[in-house]
Amino acid sequence: MSNTSARNKTSAPTVEPESLYAKHQKIYPREVHGLFAFWRAAGVFVLLGLFYIVPWLDWGGRQAVLLDLPERKFYIFGLTFWPQDFFYFAVLLIVAALSLFFFTALAGRMWCGYACPQTVWTELFLWIERKIEGDRSRQMKLAKAPWTPRKIAIKGSKQLVWLLLSAFTGFTFVGFFTPIRGLTENILHLGLGPWETFWIIFYSVATYGNAGFLREQVCLYMCPYARFQSAMFDKNTLIISYDPARGEPRGSRAKGVDYKAAGLGHCIDCTMCVQVCPTGIDIRNGLQYQCISCSACIDVCDDVMDKMNYPRGLIRYTTENALQGKKVHILRPRVIIYATILVLLLLSLGIAISQRVALELDVIRDRNSLYRETDDNGIENIYTLKIINMDEHAHEYTLDAQGIPGLHVSLDEGLRVGPGEVRELGVRVHVNEDTLHERSTKITFHLQAKDDPRLDAVKNARFMGPQPEREKTDEHHD
Amino acid sequence: MSVSKTQRIISVLWPSFLTAGLATTLFFTAFDPQELLSQTRYAEASRLGVYTVGFFLFWLLTASSCMLTCYFARPCENRQG
Repeated sequence: MSNTSARNKTSAPTVEPESLYAKHQKIYPREVHGLFAFWRAAGVFVLLGLFYIVPWLDWGGRQAVLLDLPERKFYIFGLTFWPQDFFYFAVLLIVAALSLFFFTALAGRMWCGYACPQTVWTELFLWIERKIEGDRSRQMKLAKAPWTPRKIAIKGSKQLVWLLLSAFTGFTFVGFFTPIRGLTENILHLGLGPWETFWIIFYSVATYGNAGFLREQVCLYMCPYARFQSAMFDKNTLIISYDPARGEPRGSRAKGVDYKAAGLGHCIDCTMCVQVCPTGIDIRNGLQYQCISCSACIDVCDDVMDKMNYPRGLIRYTTENALQGKKVHILRPRVIIYATILVLLLLSLGIAISQRVALELDVIRDRNSLYRETDDNGIENIYTLKIINMDEHAHEYTLDAQGIPGLHVSLDEGLRVGPGEVRELGVRVHVNEDTLHERSTKITFHLQAKDDPRLDAVKNARFMGPQPEREKTDEHHD
Repeated sequence: MSVSKTQRIISVLWPSFLTAGLATTLFFTAFDPQELLSQTRYAEASRLGVYTVGFFLFWLLTASSCMLTCYFARPCENRQG
C-alpha cells in the first residue's frame, strides 16, 4: 500500500494489535482543533443526537418514527406506510443514491467525512478513547507499556464504556423497529423476547466492531462507495489537496529562517497531516482512495502555517482545475443533470405521497362456487372484499359495482373500517340472467368513503354465469 | 495477485450480508410471514422470528454464491505447463 511508509514513520510500530489484516498497524489519529473539526463535531452531535433521541419522540399518542416490523407498518410522524407502499420506499432509496452522486460530484466525499455512520461512531469512540487513555502519544505509550494493573484498569474501563455505548446503540437501533418504550419495560422486567435480544446483541457487536475495532478498515475494504466514488469525480470536484507548488521542496527549518533563500517551500515536513489522518495516509502524495475527506489535515496544517506565519491553505479544499490554475466550473453538465433528476424525483415523490389514497381494495371471488341461480331467474356471484383502511381515522364506505345492467350488490354487514384495520367481508352480486351475454363478464367495484371524496378505490373482478345460449351442463351446478 | 485470507472471508461474508438484507426486505414486503406459514406447523412463529430466520437463510444462500465466486476466481492451472 502506498501509505505504509508514511505510517511507519509516524505511528511507531508498537505491540502489534490483534488485527484482521496482516501487516496492519493500529492508527492513532492525533486530536485536531479548527474550523472543520468543529463542523465534524457538530455533525456527530446532531446526527447521533437525532439517532438516540428520535425513537423517544411521540406523535399523536404513539412513537413518532417507528418502522414497526412486527406489525408491518411504518409510522413516520403523521404518515403510516404499509407494505403496499413499498414503491415510495424504493423511490426514496433512489433519491438517496442520487443525492450521494450529486454531492459527490459537487463536493467530493463530504458524506464520508461528516455524515457517514462509520465516521460518526468512530469519532465518538475516538473521543472516549482520548478521554480515558489521553492524547495520541499517551495512547501509544500505553500500548507499548507492559500489562500493569494500571494499564489493565485504563484499557478495561475504556472497553467497558465502549461496550455500554455499543449496547445502548444496539438497543436504540432495535427501538426504531419495535416500540422503544415497550422494549425498555421488557428489559427492566427481564422479559425481552429472544429475537429482540438477538438483534440488540447483533447491532451492539456490529457497533463495537466497526467503531472500536475495524474503523478505517471498513472504509478501505468494505465500503462499496469508496471504490466507485471516483466515477463521479471530475476536475471540478471539491477535493482535499496539498498544494505541491507552494509546499515543495519540503523540509524542516528553524522559525524565521528565510525559506526562499534556503530553497524550501512552505511545507515544513512536520508530518502533522499524517498524524491526524484517521486512515493513516499522507495527503501530500496526492488524491488517494483512502482519503475520506474528513479535513483533519486542513485544520492541523492551518495551525502550523499560523505558527510559521505562512498563509493558510497549504492543504485545502480545492479542485484539480484550481490547483492547475484553470477556471473552476461549478455548474457543469454532470451537476446539472444530477440536480435535475433529483429535483424531479423529489417533487414526484412529494406529490405521490400527498396524493396517496389511504384505502386499498382487494376482491377475491368465492372459490367454492362458480355462480348460484336464484329463484327469480337471477344469477348470483359471491366475492370476498378485503378493505384496508390505511388512514388514521375510521371511515364509513359505500360500495357499488358496475358492468352489467341492473346489477345489485348486497352486503351482510355495514361498511365501517377502523383506522389501520384490514377488514374482510362477503358481498353478493345479483343480476338478471337475461342481461348476461357471456359466461364471464367484467365488473368493477367502487369503494368510496362517505366523509372524504378523495378516499376511493376501484377494483375489477369477473362475474361468472351460465352459457348465454342456455346450453347448461351439469358442471355449472354447485 | 494474492489477497489475504481475512480479506477473502470479508469478500464472502460482507457482500452477501448486504444482498441478504435486500432480499429479506423485498421478500417480506411481498409476503407476510404469518399468512405464509398459517397452514404449516410454524403458524405460531412470531413475525420478528421469521424475519430473523429468513434473513439468515438468505445470508447462507448469498454467502454460498459469494463463496463459489471466490472459488472460481482462483486461476486455473495452466494446461500447457
